[in-house]
Amino acid sequence: MGHYSDPPLLVLASLANGPKHGHSMIEDIVRLSGTRLGPGTLYGAIARLEQKGWIEPLRPVERRQPYRITAEGLLALRAKLTTLQQFTKAGLKRLEAL
Amino acid sequence: MNPKLAHLLMRLYPRLWRERYGAEFEAFLQNRQGGLRESANVVCSALHERIFPTREGTIEQDSRSFQAWCVRAPWAIFGLAPILLLAMAYFVACLYLWFGWKIFLPGADTPFGQGGGPIYGIRNIYFQAGKFYYFGAPVLVGWATALMAVRQRVKSVWLVVGLILIAWMGSAAQIHASRTAVHGGFGYISMDFPLRASLQSVYQSPLHALTILSLTVLPYLIWLVQKNQSRSV
Repeated sequence: MGHYSDPPLLVLASLANGPKHGHSMIEDIVRLSGTRLGPGTLYGAIARLEQKGWIEPLRPVERRQPYRITAEGLLALRAKLTTLQQFTKAGLKRLEAL
Repeated sequence: MNPKLAHLLMRLYPRLWRERYGAEFEAFLQNRQGGLRESANVVCSALHERIFPTREGTIEQDSRSFQAWCVRAPWAIFGLAPILLLAMAYFVACLYLWFGWKIFLPGADTPFGQGGGPIYGIRNIYFQAGKFYYFGAPVLVGWATALMAVRQRVKSVWLVVGLILIAWMGSAAQIHASRTAVHGGFGYISMDFPLRASLQSVYQSPLHALTILSLTVLPYLIWLVQKNQSRSV
């Protein structure tokens, strides 16, 4: 089995502790999940998250475009992580029963 | 990454996507080390973006105008365009064969049936790749057509007509290669789709036409089944 890979969720989780630009996001996601997103995958996720209003661009800094998570994005991230947590708990419980 | 390569990769994305993200994405790519893996990732993502565009405000404009064409002239989009596309694909196949003939078999009277040489040699790989492209072209064109219909949520009899025509073209296509009368003279490649011969060939090899048709219609059928299932839920 490979690393966990849900690019939009990974991007949201990366932005949860503050705004970041593309390079920082990629490195942060590697530390967070062990997954290294490709540039195309990252921008695909960014475009979809921005379209949903879950992240927003900030003023560019030296040709680098930082993004930050919005309030709706935080809500969506919390909901998704809670679901994952419940799933993990249930899965582990089944393993314990073995 | 090399700025020229970064620019080229960025250009693979749809225009409306580039208008929003092009500049920052190009700058982002330029600041990366690059490499084959990253380039491949960008190519795949650009392709994905073209097939499933990010649906936001202005990015839908291209899709909307195309949708209007699908409604206004379905015969052109699903009937005529696939035929022209397949004809273009066959033209490329002929060019490919002609160049292979000139490069690898300059003395042969025909590029067909010229066995010999190592199985993993460049010559063999070249001609096998050409054969794969030639036989795969109708299926790929059919998939592209069916995918367009699925994306535009179009139910058109013209789609069926287009797919049947593609299957007919794919099964009837005949490719010829010959030289002028003088030995070692100028070689030329030609293609035809003779109606009488094609009817005969469809009869003789219904499996070929049927295979192409069933493969090309598959994505569309899957979509119809999914649609019916979601409706019943």
